[in-house]
Amino acid sequence: MSELRFEDVTVRYGRTTAVDGVSLTVPEGAVVGLVGESGSGKSTLARAAVGLAPLTGGRITLGGAPVPARGRSRPLQMVFQDPYSSLDPRMTVGRCVAEAIPPGGSRAGRRAEVERLLELVHLNPACAAVVPSRLSGGQRQRVALARALAARPRVIIADEITSALDVSVQGAVLNLVRELQRELGLAMLFISHNLAVVRYVASHVAVMRHGRLVEQGPTTRVLTEPGHDFTRELLAAVPGRTTRRSTP
Amino acid sequence: MKGRWTRIVRTPLGLTATVLVVAIAALAVLGPVLWGSGADAVDTDAILSQPSAEHWAGTDNLGRDILLRVLVASRLSITLALLAIVITVVAGLLLGSAPFVLGRRPGRLVAAVVNIAVAFPGLLLALFFAVVFGVGATGAVLAIGLAGAPAFGRLTQTLVAGVAERDYVAAARTMGIGRFRILVRHVLPNIAEPLVVNATVGAGTALLSFAGLSFLGLGVQSPSYDWGRLLYDGIGTIYVNAAAALVPGAAVLLAGLAFNLFGESVAKGLGIPVGIGLRAASPARAGSASGPERTGQGEDPGDRPSDVVLDVRDLEVTVSGPSGPVRPVRGVSFDVRRGEAVGIVGESGSGKSMTALAITRLLADQGRVDASRLDLLGNDLLAPDTPARRRMLGTTLAMVFQDPMTAFNPTRRIGAQLAEVATHHQGMSRRDAMARVVDRLTAVRIPDADTRVRQYPHEFSGGMRQRAMIGMGLMGTPALIVADEPTTALDVTVQQQVLDLLTAIREADDVALILISHDVTVVGEVCDRILVMYAGRIVEDMPAADLAAARHPYTRALVDAVPDMNTDLDELLATIPGRPVDPADVPSGCAYADRCPLADARCQAEDPPLAADQADSPRHRVACWHAGEALPAQPDDQSIDELVESP
Repeated sequence: MSELRFEDVTVRYGRTTAVDGVSLTVPEGAVVGLVGESGSGKSTLARAAVGLAPLTGGRITLGGAPVPARGRSRPLQMVFQDPYSSLDPRMTVGRCVAEAIPPGGSRAGRRAEVERLLELVHLNPACAAVVPSRLSGGQRQRVALARALAARPRVIIADEITSALDVSVQGAVLNLVRELQRELGLAMLFISHNLAVVRYVASHVAVMRHGRLVEQGPTTRVLTEPGHDFTRELLAAVPGRTTRRSTP
Repeated sequence: MKGRWTRIVRTPLGLTATVLVVAIAALAVLGPVLWGSGADAVDTDAILSQPSAEHWAGTDNLGRDILLRVLVASRLSITLALLAIVITVVAGLLLGSAPFVLGRRPGRLVAAVVNIAVAFPGLLLALFFAVVFGVGATGAVLAIGLAGAPAFGRLTQTLVAGVAERDYVAAARTMGIGRFRILVRHVLPNIAEPLVVNATVGAGTALLSFAGLSFLGLGVQSPSYDWGRLLYDGIGTIYVNAAAALVPGAAVLLAGLAFNLFGESVAKGLGIPVGIGLRAASPARAGSASGPERTGQGEDPGDRPSDVVLDVRDLEVTVSGPSGPVRPVRGVSFDVRRGEAVGIVGESGSGKSMTALAITRLLADQGRVDASRLDLLGNDLLAPDTPARRRMLGTTLAMVFQDPMTAFNPTRRIGAQLAEVATHHQGMSRRDAMARVVDRLTAVRIPDADTRVRQYPHEFSGGMRQRAMIGMGLMGTPALIVADEPTTALDVTVQQQVLDLLTAIREADDVALILISHDVTVVGEVCDRILVMYAGRIVEDMPAADLAAARHPYTRALVDAVPDMNTDLDELLATIPGRPVDPADVPSGCAYADRCPLADARCQAEDPPLAADQADSPRHRVACWHAGEALPAQPDDQSIDELVESP
C-alpha cells in the first residue's frame, strides 16, 4: 500500500498563502497530472511533500503513515524542472546516482546498481564517468530520473520535468516516464502547465488555481467534459487546437 | 582544471604574477640557507654605513648588511603571513558554513555575530587581539588571522547561501543526506574557486598587516626579524641611510603585489568565462576564417514582387567564441511580404534568435553580419548607421522580446518609455506623444490605459507587459514586427491572448510578422509560412498548411515529438537522438546527418541545397537529399543513448 495522500494541505509564506487546503490522492501505480498557471501553488505542494517547504496545516501521508523527513530511507523522491541546476556540476553522473542509493552493500554492488539504473533510463553506462556538462538537457533529465529511482521510491514527484527541454528531447523523456510507470508500477505526481503533455502521461488530472484545487478526476473526463470554467479556459488555450492546417 | 591553470599562466598578468610568486617562494626557502650567516655577521667597522659596493643597501647599527637581512627575513615574513591566512580561512569557513549546518535559528545567531564582527575595521580587531594574545610573533599571527575571519566568514556564508538554493542541494536533501555531508560534497566544491582566490588575495593583505604590526612594535621581536621589523629599525635612521627603510619597504610591496596579482589572475582564469559566443569578432580574425560558403543556397526566385517588406539573401552572422570565430547563422535567405506571417522554428542553438537580432540590427557590437542583400522596404540594413536610418528603423520595425520584464527599464513609468519612441523618432510634443501612448495601449487591449501609463513595469502582469511591449512597437507605423519567443515566459492562457493580439494587428494594418519559436504548434497556428532552422541554415521553407506534409526528416521529427490533444496514447512519441550541432563545430555535409535515420554517405559528404523538389509546390523548399522518403519505423524498445562527446 503506497498511496500518496494530501489532506487539507496549507502552506503559507508570511502572509501569502501558496497552497490553500488542498486534498489530493495519488493512487498506487497511477500517474496523476497536476496542472495550473505559474504561481498557482503546484510546485509548492510538491516541495511540501518532500519536506522542502514547511506545512502550515493539514498532513501528507504515504501508505497511511507520514512521509519520513529524517533518515536515509526516503520513499518519496522528486525530479526537478531544470536539469542544468539539479545536478551537481562537479560530480560525475555515476557518483551522483550512487549517492542516492540507500547505504550498505559492496562497492561492486553499488557500481552494478548504477549501471542498471542508467540502462533503465536508456543511457549508456559509460556515461557514469562523465560530468553533467557533457550531456544534453534530455540526457541530464534522465540522469535526474535515475537518481530519483536509485533511492527506491514508492512515489516520484516530477515537477515540470520537460519544460526546460527542447521539444525534440521532450518526447524521449515522456516516453521514458510512461515506460517506467508501466514496467515498475511506479506512482507519480506529474506537474506540468502543458495539458497535452499531461494527457499523454497521466490517468488522473487535478487542476490548481490560486493555491486551490478547482477540479480533479480521470484525465479523459476532465479534458472532454471540464466541470470548471478555468479548466475550459486552459483547454481553449492549448496551441494546435485551432490550427490553420484544416483551412485552405 | 589543468587547462584552466595553463590559461592563467598564458596571460601576461598571470605570467608575471606566477613568476613573482615562485621567485618569492624560492627566496623564502633558500634565503636563510644561502645568506643566513652573512646577515648575522656583525661588522663593527661599518656601523650605519651608506650603500656601497660591499653593502648595497648599507648596514644597520651593528654593521649588519641590510640587503642580506631583507632577503633572509623573507622566510619569516612569508611563513607568518601564510599561517595567518590559514587561520583566517579555517575560522572563516567554520563561521560561514555554520548557518547552513546548524539550521535556521542557531544559524541566524552565528550570522548576526559575523555581521557585527564585519562592522569593525580589521586593523582595530588585529590591535585588540594583539593586546589579548600579547606582543610577539604568535600573538600577531593569531591577531591577524582572527581579524580576517569575519570578512572571510561573511563571504563564505553568502556563497553557501547561493549554492544552497540550487536544486541539486534540494535533491540531496530529499535523499536524506545529512547537512554536513551536503556541505562537504555539494556546497564547498562549488564555491571553492572564489574562496581560493580570496585566500590568495588575503595572503597579500596579511603580509602587509604583519609589516604594519611589526612596524608598530607589536609584531616580531628582536632578535628575530621580519620585513616589518627591519622597516621599523630602518625608519629611525632614514636621514642617515634611506635605503635601510626603502629596501624592506620595497620587499613588502613586491611580495604583497605578487600575492594580490596572483589572486586576481587566478580569479580571471578560474571564474566562469564571460561573454562566450557574444563578443565582437575582430574583423581581421573573422576575415581570416574560411570564406563564406555560398553553395546553392538562396537562388533568387525569378519574380521579385514589389510587396516584399524584408529581403534577406545569404545572411551570415559571425561571433567570436572561446576558440576562434563561430558562425551561428550560415547563409540564410528568405523574404517576407506585406501582411505575411513567417514563423522560424528550431531547437536552441539553431541560430533563429541570431537571425532576428541580425535583421533588427541589434547585433551591432556583438557580432559581424554579412549578407549579399539585407533590405527592409528597399533600405539597405547593412549600410552605415545614420540618424535618418535609425528613425526609419525605429518607426517601421518593431521587436518583441521573450522576457517582457527585462525588456523594460524597471525604474521608469510605462507611459514615458513608450512616449520616448514618438518624441525621439517622430518629433512629437510630450502631450501628443502621451495621447498616442494611451491610444496604442488601448489598441493592444490594455484596459484603463490612461491610468496604466503612469504605472511602473512591475505593476503590470507578464501578459500585460508583453502587450505593452507590442504597443511600443506600434508607436510608429511598423511594416514588420519581429517577435522572438514572445510567449515562452507566459502562461498558456496568456500565451493565447498574446498570439491572438499579434494576429489581429497583422490583419488590421497589413503588418508583416516574423514569429520565432521553439514550438512548432504555436508557429503553425499563427503563421502563413514556416522556416525550419537547423545549425544556422534553413532546412525547410513551407506553407504552414503543409506542416503535416513536411518533407525534411528533421521537421517531421519536430512535429511528431510534440504531443497534442489528439496524440494517440498508445504510440511512442518520436525522438531525435543525439544533440544539436555545436555552432563552433559544424560538420561538412548535411549538419543533420548524424541524427538522421535516412542519412547515407552522400549526406555526410555534401550539404544539400535549399530547393523546391516537387514541381507542383514551388513555394515548398527543402534542403535534404532524401526529402519525403519514408522514415524507418521506430524500434519498439528504445535503443540506448550513446555517450555524447563534449563539444
